Amino acid sequence: MILRFDRRILVNFDWTLLAIVLGICFIGVLNIFSAGYSLSEKQYPLYLKQIQWIALGLLCMLIVFFIDYRVISRIAYLIYGFSLALLVFVALYGYTSNGSQRWISFGSVFFQPSEFVKLTIIVALARYFDDHKSLEPYTLKELFVPLLILFVPFILVLKQPDLGTALILLIIFSSIILFIGINWRSFLIAVVVVLISMPVGWHFLKDYQKDRLLTFLSPENDPLGTGYHIIQSMIAIGSGGFLGKGFLKGSQTQLKFLPEQQTDFVFSVFAEEWGFAGGLVLMLLFIFLIVWGMKIALHSRDLLGTLISFGITALISWEVFINIGMVLGILPVVGIPLPFLSYGGSAMVVLLMSMGLLMNVSVHRFILQR
Amino acid sequence: MAKQPNLLNGPAPAELRRKYKIIIFFVMACFSLLLTRLWYLQVIKGDDLKQKSENNSVRFRKIKPLRGLIMDRNGTILVDNSPSFDVLYMPSKGKDPDRVLKKLRELYQNKGMDLSFDQPFPKNAKPFLPVKLEKNVNMEKVAIVETNALDLPGVYIDVTPVRQYIEGQVVAPFIGYTGEISKDELEKNVEEYTSGDVLGKYGIEKFLDSHIRGRRGAELVEVNVFGKEIKNVGRIDPISGYNVTLTIDANLQKVAWDALEGKAGAAVALDTRDGSVLAMVSAPSFDPNLFNSGISLAEWTKLLNNPLKPMSNRSISGQYPPGSTYKLIVAAAALEEGIITPETTFHCNGSFELGNRSYRCWLKKGHGSVNLHRALVESCDVYFYNVGKLLGVDTIAEYARRFGLGELTGIDLPNEKGGLIPTKQWKVERLKESWQLGETISISIGQGFNLVTPLQLAVAYSALANGGTIWRPRLINRIETTEGGIFKEYLPEKRGELGLTEKNIEILKYALWGVVNENGGTGRAARRPGSDVSGKTGTSQVISMPENDKVRRDKKINVFHRDHALFVCYAPRENPEIAIAIIVENAGHGGSAAAPVARKILDAYFNGKKKNVLKKPEAKIGLTDVTGNRQQ
Repeated sequence: MILRFDRRILVNFDWTLLAIVLGICFIGVLNIFSAGYSLSEKQYPLYLKQIQWIALGLLCMLIVFFIDYRVISRIAYLIYGFSLALLVFVALYGYTSNGSQRWISFGSVFFQPSEFVKLTIIVALARYFDDHKSLEPYTLKELFVPLLILFVPFILVLKQPDLGTALILLIIFSSIILFIGINWRSFLIAVVVVLISMPVGWHFLKDYQKDRLLTFLSPENDPLGTGYHIIQSMIAIGSGGFLGKGFLKGSQTQLKFLPEQQTDFVFSVFAEEWGFAGGLVLMLLFIFLIVWGMKIALHSRDLLGTLISFGITALISWEVFINIGMVLGILPVVGIPLPFLSYGGSAMVVLLMSMGLLMNVSVHRFILQR
Repeated sequence: MAKQPNLLNGPAPAELRRKYKIIIFFVMACFSLLLTRLWYLQVIKGDDLKQKSENNSVRFRKIKPLRGLIMDRNGTILVDNSPSFDVLYMPSKGKDPDRVLKKLRELYQNKGMDLSFDQPFPKNAKPFLPVKLEKNVNMEKVAIVETNALDLPGVYIDVTPVRQYIEGQVVAPFIGYTGEISKDELEKNVEEYTSGDVLGKYGIEKFLDSHIRGRRGAELVEVNVFGKEIKNVGRIDPISGYNVTLTIDANLQKVAWDALEGKAGAAVALDTRDGSVLAMVSAPSFDPNLFNSGISLAEWTKLLNNPLKPMSNRSISGQYPPGSTYKLIVAAAALEEGIITPETTFHCNGSFELGNRSYRCWLKKGHGSVNLHRALVESCDVYFYNVGKLLGVDTIAEYARRFGLGELTGIDLPNEKGGLIPTKQWKVERLKESWQLGETISISIGQGFNLVTPLQLAVAYSALANGGTIWRPRLINRIETTEGGIFKEYLPEKRGELGLTEKNIEILKYALWGVVNENGGTGRAARRPGSDVSGKTGTSQVISMPENDKVRRDKKINVFHRDHALFVCYAPRENPEIAIAIIVENAGHGGSAAAPVARKILDAYFNGKKKNVLKKPEAKIGLTDVTGNRQQ
């Protein structure tokens, strides 16, 4: 059943999902090409690297797709443990860049385990709640193990420091808990505890981490840093107008006014060159992807599949919302990439892997009749 | 979809469907918010922001840091910084680059100047990347561009610091030069550099780049429609690089350069007491300032293809057969191994027979019966043929290594070469041939496979002079922070001992004194009353010549096939202070072509000392604590 090749897997393959994902990836590559267009020719172009990452990601997607998600769930804690081990390795021997120790270096290739953790946390939580089904809303006591599953990587990621990813882990966890159902009293207690623990945690931070947090909270104190990013990003987006300036013609982009224009601020590049029309199309694609993902969650044959696909879809929804919100200047600037569009190997591979898992759940609703 | 059967476990589908609806509603609400904001920015405020982007607005600019100064041991500045005015063209601002170029050329020609940018404007120029038309232009050109800004849309002046090499050629071979980062260098150091950075490419500039470079600053400036800066919005100051003090003595360096200028060769002067490099000249040299104005491809290829190799530092990377200067090593080996005593004599009748081959002495009529002292003084080849044959190549090699030959000296410069001291094993491994006795004969007078660098020779003779210590030659004295505190101090470093008995050292030293001071000595051209110079001449064969001496001396033979002249010396005889190695390429005999160069350096050294110009660098004690941290 597990390893035997089932013809139904091909017949019922979720081609729509694959098509949307590939479509968004294609837009992403075009966009990175444009963002790097006027960069010095001396550097190896990022869009080519991104294509290589997509190829690797598709391979991973295929592998994840063909292993029944219930089999994956059986080793969920093992994978989760492995991802934690990677985080510990990073804390000890990780590669540091821009004052943050986030990467494992393989020569010229870098891997960011915190991206991988986003996925393993979802699968581990899905496995836990599948094992501990309850028709009643969960209480805080019952949520002790899930909280543990969250907090170990949360602390490790926060220490790197990587506020954006830590925040995403927290949000994913909260989304899953709210989805599965939590006792309202427990929920209120949790919120209060988090609010109280904030000033306590502040004392454990190092000075430079405090500085960074303060800058994050009030960007105007850092005119050359975040504040500048936001101003330039908004000028870029606004100057795109309704139809945009055209491919490779965004002056903000090509003049290098935009910061991080191939990573966190890719959307500004896109919006400048393709205008509101382009932005609308891209957002519709994302909405379609999200609704499709939620439908998979709805129609899954078991709670495990529902939770996995909900978790993955929620992850993408939040990342898209927070990233674009930050680029548009309505949310504070945190380092959260735009799924499938930001340059970044680890994120791309993990995202495509997640899509493999989503397709996996999707196809099994036709196979698991009993 | 509603037809799907109920789930066996888990939440009821009705419940799930309710949640699904809430989620979708929530997602739609969030995205509507984003789209509303996007509509507001792009459509409602679009024109406004578009204008801002066109006139724009705030510009982020990197500010290049000043590189650290490089000074000699007395604080004389060797390398400084000066502003470079570059003429740039922003393609997005001008409509017709070729017409603008034509206009600029016209304006220049009215004042009798040329535009060095002579190719047509590149077709593939990216609209927002400025094209550098000219680097490091004079003030007249700056004035022309500034006053005619309206006729020259897109053309503007940019000021950046560039290196100024005072007496560039004199110090270029070890100071090196700087340039914009290349593609390869950038790929290797993505973290440390960004494109457009200036970094050291050669010599000290490269060796100490991380300390000299400093840190980039940045600036936010508001620019008006004409690209003119109106307001400074924010700024992070660049941090200047650390200053470097070398062990070099600028006066001595200049004298050594003057003595070698016009020739091809090298001169190295070391302090025998601690290995400090006092002077290091390689001629011909190049002008490192050329790279500031953007060296043209033609100039660059000319430099690279010049058969005299001006871009190489002969003192550390020129590898030559040591010639007769090697006899010191053979003599030391023979004495130490007990093969000969100072009284042992051999008869020289002008040649030495081995098998059916005859090896000549440089003096055709022969030296007669000579002992070790006379053999060194008069540089008798036949004496050393005999000694070398008794010693064998491997024993000679062992002593050569003790003198530091055939391996890197460890000087603080990139691109050092190690030379070659052959052994039997080396030849088998490298050439897959067994060693021939005849090759030992050539080796014993420093010819054959032997290769050394001038610096190695200076280190070797310096070791004999100081009684047996091989010092690591050092060029860097210390690195100072911009505030003047000592960041890092380079101390003398012992690399080895000769391991010769005091008696043998005295015998050898006496012979080297004789070379310069006794009648019949080959190095008499370096004689200086009062300072008791000791040394050894050498002539290294570039290619083996036919047996006939006449051909060898014939001036008509290819210049590059003529012998190199060598002279290595130290002074004074008692308590030596300075050791010098000279090589003059294709100049003939060491005694006549190289020794006079050494003599000029010695004159400058001892005269300067008399005038007390040559100060010992004072250690700045008290400025730094043990860890090297700055203190005010």
